[in-house]
Amino acid sequence: MASPLALPRRDALFSLGASVGGLALSALLADEGFGAKAPSATAGDGPTAPKPPHFPAKAKRCIFLTMEGGPSQIDTFDPKPKLRDVHLQEFQAGGEQKSAMASGKRYYVESPFQFMKAGESGADMGTNWPHLAGVADDLCFYRGCQAESVNHPTAMAHINTGNRFGGDPAVGSWVTYGLGSENADLPAFVVLPEVSHPQGGAANWGNGFLPAHYQGTPLRAEGSPILNLAPPEGITRDHQRRNLDLLAELNRRHAADRIAADDPFAQTLAARVESYELAFRMQARVPGLIDIDGEDQATKDLYGVDATDTDAFGRKCLLARRLVERGVRFVQLYHGTWDSHDQLARAHGNLIRQVDRPIAALLTDLKRRNLLDETLVVWTGEFGRSPDNSPRGGIAYGRDHNAKAMTIWMAGGGVKAGHTIGATDELGAEAVECVHPIRDLHVTLLHLLGLDDNRLTYFSSGRFKQLSQFGGKVIEELLA
Amino acid sequence: MSLLGWSGAAAAANGEPGQWTNGQRLFALQVQPVFAAKCVACHGDDPADLGGAFDLSSRAGLLTGGESGDPAIVPGDHGAGSLYDLLKWEDGYGMPPKETDALTEAQRWAVRDWIDAGAPWPDAATVEAIREAHAPGVTVPTSGGLSKDWTERRYDPADLWAYQPIDDPPIPPTPEGFAAPADSADAFLNASLSEAGLAPAPRADRRTLIRRATFDLTGLPPTPEEITAFLTDDRDDRAAFAAVVDRLLASPHFGERFASNWLDVVRYADSAGFANDFERPNAWRYRDYVVRSFNDDKPFDRFLTEQIAGDELVDSGRLEANSPEGIDALLAVGFLRMGPWEHTGMSVAKITRQQFLDDVTDTVGQTFLAQPLQCAKCHDHKFDPIPTRDYYAIQAAFATTQFADRPVPFHPEEAAEFAGEPEYLRQRLEEARAIQRRIAAKKEAAKKWYADRGLKYGNLNQKREEGAPPEEIAPEELELTVAEYGLERVAKKMLQRHGWELDRYKPMAFSVYSGASPPMKPVFAAMPLPKDRTKGTIAASAILTGGDPFSPGTPVEPGVLSAALLSVSPESEDPVPADVTGRRTALAGWLTDPANPLPARVYANRVWQWLFGRGLAANANNFGGGGATPSHPELLDHLATRLVRGEWKTKPLVRALMLSDAYARASLHPDPAAVAEADPTGSLLAAARPRRLTAEELRDAMLAFTGELNPAIGGAPVRPEIEPEVALQPRQIMGSFAPAWQPNPSPDQRHRRTLYTLKLRGLRDPLLETFNAPAPDAPCEMRETSTIAPQALALMNGRSTYLRALAAADAVLATDPDADEAAVESLFRRAFGRPATDAEREACVSHWHAMTTRHASLHFDPVRPPTEVVRIAVEENTGERFSYVEKLEQAADFEPDLGPDEADARTRGLAEVALVLLNANEFLYVE
Repeated sequence: MASPLALPRRDALFSLGASVGGLALSALLADEGFGAKAPSATAGDGPTAPKPPHFPAKAKRCIFLTMEGGPSQIDTFDPKPKLRDVHLQEFQAGGEQKSAMASGKRYYVESPFQFMKAGESGADMGTNWPHLAGVADDLCFYRGCQAESVNHPTAMAHINTGNRFGGDPAVGSWVTYGLGSENADLPAFVVLPEVSHPQGGAANWGNGFLPAHYQGTPLRAEGSPILNLAPPEGITRDHQRRNLDLLAELNRRHAADRIAADDPFAQTLAARVESYELAFRMQARVPGLIDIDGEDQATKDLYGVDATDTDAFGRKCLLARRLVERGVRFVQLYHGTWDSHDQLARAHGNLIRQVDRPIAALLTDLKRRNLLDETLVVWTGEFGRSPDNSPRGGIAYGRDHNAKAMTIWMAGGGVKAGHTIGATDELGAEAVECVHPIRDLHVTLLHLLGLDDNRLTYFSSGRFKQLSQFGGKVIEELLA
Repeated sequence: MSLLGWSGAAAAANGEPGQWTNGQRLFALQVQPVFAAKCVACHGDDPADLGGAFDLSSRAGLLTGGESGDPAIVPGDHGAGSLYDLLKWEDGYGMPPKETDALTEAQRWAVRDWIDAGAPWPDAATVEAIREAHAPGVTVPTSGGLSKDWTERRYDPADLWAYQPIDDPPIPPTPEGFAAPADSADAFLNASLSEAGLAPAPRADRRTLIRRATFDLTGLPPTPEEITAFLTDDRDDRAAFAAVVDRLLASPHFGERFASNWLDVVRYADSAGFANDFERPNAWRYRDYVVRSFNDDKPFDRFLTEQIAGDELVDSGRLEANSPEGIDALLAVGFLRMGPWEHTGMSVAKITRQQFLDDVTDTVGQTFLAQPLQCAKCHDHKFDPIPTRDYYAIQAAFATTQFADRPVPFHPEEAAEFAGEPEYLRQRLEEARAIQRRIAAKKEAAKKWYADRGLKYGNLNQKREEGAPPEEIAPEELELTVAEYGLERVAKKMLQRHGWELDRYKPMAFSVYSGASPPMKPVFAAMPLPKDRTKGTIAASAILTGGDPFSPGTPVEPGVLSAALLSVSPESEDPVPADVTGRRTALAGWLTDPANPLPARVYANRVWQWLFGRGLAANANNFGGGGATPSHPELLDHLATRLVRGEWKTKPLVRALMLSDAYARASLHPDPAAVAEADPTGSLLAAARPRRLTAEELRDAMLAFTGELNPAIGGAPVRPEIEPEVALQPRQIMGSFAPAWQPNPSPDQRHRRTLYTLKLRGLRDPLLETFNAPAPDAPCEMRETSTIAPQALALMNGRSTYLRALAAADAVLATDPDADEAAVESLFRRAFGRPATDAEREACVSHWHAMTTRHASLHFDPVRPPTEVVRIAVEENTGERFSYVEKLEQAADFEPDLGPDEADARTRGLAEVALVLLNANEFLYVE
């Protein structure tokens, strides 16, 4: 029935080209049929509109694989045969920097795993990475990285935001701030957390002092993928359309005087009206965009979807591919916890089995779709582990946290694939070659995406802030 | 007063300005700085290692050139030497080696002109004299920077506005065509409006004005009765509005609203953040202290002093510990430790201590000086006259500040009733102990099995590693399962956490004392006052190289900002003593000294911001060179003067500003185009600034809309219903999961004002977060108000907004069950404070009827809160998954709000209308 206030709905939307944030208005209006390949829409000229990089770069987006808890470099990609010689010899740690935990007797322990030389490049890997070994030549291992904190939350905040004590924007927020979004229907920075959120919670993907448009959006594995995406129970799309029509009418009337007077504040009010229309469309579109059911069985099998060990992370990796394929700028995946203080063989063994196939599948799949060249893939924890057993360890060996040595690897656009850069000492305790702090890793990551850390700044609390905090160096050795 | 103590360009000592040639000036002012910045690192700094054997540190080197043998310059002819060509970076090659470092065109031209002028190379003293004579701006004496250059650097006087003494500027005369100002503040605004050729917008209508004033002063909407009373008040507009303002200032909700503003600045939260995000069970008493202080109109200098040094006022005997004043003083210093902080077994003591010191130094700077001191942590300040030495001097004032959760009796005005709440915690503690008993019994059984056989006890893995034969290993059912290992830790963490949370209800304060630094142990319970406060080390303070606590450099004494005018008593350069106690009292004395211009300006500016939406200086936490300069500097000084003369009281200043012409203006100017043209940033306040409700106001307004709001003041934090997915979201803490968010069983508690909801750093109400409630990690000077799609999702689809809509529909129908039009009318009055127009009423009634028809075919099942949640965790020592059940003990007592299952189709239909009103711009914006 015709409402006394009725206006054509499009008229009620006013004229507003600007983004309404995080998820900007887009071709959603027109583009109801989403193709499988190209990103559907660009984000207008709002805060998340695509922006050119500072300089040309191969990588256009990033998949960040966060192995939360601190994977052991010694038991994955940086074998230390020397540990066999000093196995169970006593080890003394000390100094003012030690924590209360670092007390008691400690012993060197050898790795419980066997190692191999994988690929043409002969990359060092545990033999329990059979799938990743198949793409070893696409990886660039880096053994020179050093963290600054041996405490999970501070180290996690550091690798995620560049600031150990938190409150700063996440790497994904900076990248989105720098490059904008290529798909207005999806958030530009998507996080796939474990069912349980990491220590520090949502601050790990927070926008810090950057505008809210750049905050990471966690996608839930089950239920509504984005909070409040589904209308309340019993409310159909048609119901909601009726509500929105009434809302638009009331808003139109409320702003009538300002529109007539061409008052600038009418634009702000109009942006809110637009945000409702966008939300309404997202409700219909997002679940389909991220649903992996449309993938063929062979692809699902490749990722280990539905297999006991690999299902959870396999789904995440497959979803990550779907997201970058649709123009999401930054996808961060969590897996963990790798905090194996005890029972190293079992704990790390299980964890490796859970990620080996999915990660190899992700790289393979990106490659065969010609996406790997323009996608940067990073694998890292928040720190590495020590060559000695944890004070909590019994006879079943584990390892303690270690900020001085960690192995990360990168693959994809602009990365020097098939190389191992940097080295740790003979026991894997400390990086000794091509040593760089995490801020340099961040600067390098931005560089690979065409962003200059010194130019990617935001003025807050009296100074121009940047991801590296105070500047850093590109690790040239990692670049192709 | 002029820039006392600050010097302008000094007379030149080396050579008279008239004797210097243009070439010499070019060299000193442009060419040599470019060489220094871009060249000499490779070509001159190290004579033993000259890149290309080329030396740019002397004229001779340039004349000789490098290994090619050609001269780099030929004086008088820039085209003849190689240098100028190289600087051009043509043909893909040049100097400096990185093209991105290439000189700008202007820099190259300076080199060219200098060569053509004969490439003069004056001696160092002349260079300095030239620079001195040409330098713009003024120098500022300070305690001295790390380098001479910094110490002697010059500032644009405009950037130093905040450091200058507060003038009492004359009140400008009324410009032609303007009415006599209602308040002297208007005189300043009118003068700039007149200068810009703008006329102010007319006075807003009463309905708009009471809504604006009520939200600004109480954070709540006016009730329909309050609106009617104001509309029918037959006094003139000003007198009637003055009565409204006086009523609002006397309301206890005034203190809540201003506390809400203040808590943003001081990064208030009820939990510690980081790995454990332990609750700070007594932080709420600081929050209520702030509410009380604003309601009592505590003088701001007093308020400041209590927050910086309240404990010292008590410990020195100046205040009686158990008196209301002493209680407030001990609660107030919670401010100092309000930042995120924890110290666990994995923490390094020096680092966590430094983290506190850095946080408190920067926060004191931002809060009271509008000067983010963090900028001077690693180096002398880039923009402002703050040497890093001052940073560490101020920090040293806190070097003897120690944490303690002190016994402090409840204040007579405190809400110390905690019905039922402690009992839930005790249930959880008992559950944890039961788990421990069960596991201990199992361990005992295994021990007994080994003891019975004369064998040494060990777990299964140990036995296997030792190669024990199967018959010497206890049967598997005596071995702890992975889940039991996991539960053992879960139970331990529950005892820690919930045991500590019981302190919420105890007369304790989140407080500090002055004393020696005790040895640091992991903190997972209240930190008691030590018996002997001198035991431990007296921390020595030093400039930390690069901000690193492991790299102490030059020692420093406690002090204050040294920039000239801020040394309040010139004869004692340093007002803060080095004694263990009294440092903060002295710092507070310096801050509140009327000769210190910063705190009064800073606070007057905040009060302005809280009423007008934006400060006169737009960066309320940064008055330095990095912040915006004030739009009306004289007005700011005028307000600061009034503040101090009025004994630092807030309410008289607020009252005067509320009654100003500027506050009462309409937000729609008759000529928006003229305003946009003459004043694009809106800083002249030709019209009032419309604003969106803050997150807290939005939630409170929804509760006021339905009539559910419980207006009780103060007390331990409450937990409203938040989105269930977030409430139950597993959240890792060290070795376990944080407990689920359980809403209070009683609606009365759930429907308290948002100010009183439990504010956890690690779990934020998504509704508040999406509406830009700031994360409490750092001081927030002003709320962001972005418009993002998730806000629409939260308000259209969120369960708590839907329940509000339903409650409103129910309330409206309860009073007038049959008259459709009256029901809609009532919703409009509740939501917007005005009657509906005929067209709106008709549209809403018809929407209601259509929705009722749709709802008639819908069936809703009751939704009850879950009584437990299964937590699936990875046992960190084995990497194996285990699960346990977290019992949600409060669910059994939960009294739900009206749900759709209990409402008839007609009520649910009207709820759809109510939901639309809650989402309307008119509901969310104050105009």
